[in-house]
Amino acid sequence: MLTNSGPVAKLYLSIIDDVIESVRELFMDEGIEDRVLDDLRHLWETKMMQSKAMEDFRKNNLNSSNFVLQLPANYSQADQDLPASVVIPASQNIQRFPVKNISEPLTTFSLPAGLAYPVQIPAGVTLQTASGQLYKVNVPVVVTQAPGVQQLVSQPTQKATEWREAPASQSAAVPPNTIHPQEVEPSAVTQPPQANLPPIQENSLPQQLRVPDGEASQLQGALCPQPEGTLEEREPSPQPEPVDLSMTVSPCSHLLDSQISTETAQLKTRDIDDILKEVIEVEREKAQRARNLASAKTDDQSEAVLGLDLDYNYSDLSEIVQLDGPADNSDIEEEEEVPLEENDFLGLINAEAIKALQEGDGSGDGSSISSGSGGEEEAYEIADVEEDDPLNSGDDVIEQDIPDLFDTDNVIVCQYDKIHRCKNRWKFHLKDGVMCYRGRDYVFSKAVGEAEW
Amino acid sequence: MCESPWSPCCTAHFLMDSSNEEALDIIVTNVVATFRTRCHLNLRTIALEGTNVIYKPEVGKVLMKLRKPKITASIWSSGKIICTGATSEDEAKLGARRLARCLQKLGFKVRFSAFRVVNVLAVCSMPFAVHLIDFTKNNRPIASYEPELHPAATYRIKTLKATIQVFSTGSVTVTGPNVQNVATAVEQVYPLLFECQKPLCK
Repeated sequence: MLTNSGPVAKLYLSIIDDVIESVRELFMDEGIEDRVLDDLRHLWETKMMQSKAMEDFRKNNLNSSNFVLQLPANYSQADQDLPASVVIPASQNIQRFPVKNISEPLTTFSLPAGLAYPVQIPAGVTLQTASGQLYKVNVPVVVTQAPGVQQLVSQPTQKATEWREAPASQSAAVPPNTIHPQEVEPSAVTQPPQANLPPIQENSLPQQLRVPDGEASQLQGALCPQPEGTLEEREPSPQPEPVDLSMTVSPCSHLLDSQISTETAQLKTRDIDDILKEVIEVEREKAQRARNLASAKTDDQSEAVLGLDLDYNYSDLSEIVQLDGPADNSDIEEEEEVPLEENDFLGLINAEAIKALQEGDGSGDGSSISSGSGGEEEAYEIADVEEDDPLNSGDDVIEQDIPDLFDTDNVIVCQYDKIHRCKNRWKFHLKDGVMCYRGRDYVFSKAVGEAEW
Repeated sequence: MCESPWSPCCTAHFLMDSSNEEALDIIVTNVVATFRTRCHLNLRTIALEGTNVIYKPEVGKVLMKLRKPKITASIWSSGKIICTGATSEDEAKLGARRLARCLQKLGFKVRFSAFRVVNVLAVCSMPFAVHLIDFTKNNRPIASYEPELHPAATYRIKTLKATIQVFSTGSVTVTGPNVQNVATAVEQVYPLLFECQKPLCK
């Protein structure tokens, strides 16, 4: 199985980008709003993400994510005391990663690459992403992998994601332990299939991504009934920088139990951040389910991402993937090509066909043709008369041993360099193709195959 | 076992009169037959919708392969079809009918007509090696042998319209218009070959 599936998603996204951009002008000429185009783009990406191609994505993420978790000094032993964290229902993948207590103030956890998500993170852990950002988690969280992370990354348009930094000193109204991370994933996220989400959905997570208005809601002393699963970042600089996010204010106050401190100057390493966000979000939501009051959502992004992620977890488990029309292989249509050979002869064939049809259309064709052919070759006259044929079902080929030969979902659409046959052994040299195999999409520039008929 | 040694079956067994009680196995390896569908065929339709087809637009034909009688048919747009690969005449006819049925199912108004076996190829192995030069000398105008061109001597029987290729190992291939003729041809040539057999020591 091809594991270079990350490129597939990237390719698809770049295709989407190209198409949208090239079409933008047309849309404008037609007088259609930009918003429509953006909606189209969102829908497209959403569908694509949901489709099987995304599975590759996840795998890719799985392999690539690798981040370091650090424990704050005071929590160096915390993990031992932590109660069992709430775990995402799709818990089969949950692992507890080992805590390495180093004498340093910070204890570092390394999540191994290829770690199976979700992962349980004890409370009081400071997570450091590969990019160097630190997240301090005050409550046990479960780290899950956001399936849609990478793709989200590619969408620039959406709400800007900005790290919101909680004042180190906890800005005035903010209770020490409540800081509200605001991250909005740009995306795409009108992401869909929240339906499959686990109980967390009970919290009525919003399907839309909206980032809650940061400041006011951030400052909450108590756990907010509305859990916001987000990570909070702290800018290295002591000054809090209010995040300016195009987020809607969520009606309820958002509250994060977990505080996350971040160090980086970078704003995003989306994947890891998303993962952490999701985890924390999930954690909190679980913990606060009982207290959940509001239905409004704050971190749409993270939730959506989380939702997505959970969705995939479930789908992993139950093999139930709800895809709205992902199997329509629309992306394949983009690359479909007809062998040149056939195209070149289309004109010829059509002319020939037309002629033939015209001749044949004399529907008493039998007599006219037979007389014609009979005239041609006398030797066959007798044979012609003999037609005792009627072809009936007695002559049927054994109903095509493989009648469903073309019902398969495994399809390759490509161009050929060379197709060779010797007796019943076939050899294929293919190029520039897209294939859907066992539900996953693969793209290749060269493929070689052999088959027996 | 066939009733008569000359009956057209896939393997013919011979009892040679010349003090030789052996039976020669003639194995029919290929039967070529043609027939007509009496209607024009749209090759492109066949190529796109048919199963197990190979389209050769440069030549203007479609190859359709059948599994059950293992045959390959060349289909032309005129409605003429050449069916090859069968191992007996009956099999060829059966395969041709099945093929016509396939075309009928694709939507063409096919009528199975003018079925005719055109060529039969059989191989046979003599129990002895043959001295080709002597054989050619003895059968001067009928047999020809050009070792630089082809390693076998060619013997044509006009009356049967059969061609026999004799190799020095004693293998013989026979082509003729039908199985009966092929069998007869082998029978005819056997004594001639017998005369020119190479001594075993060689």
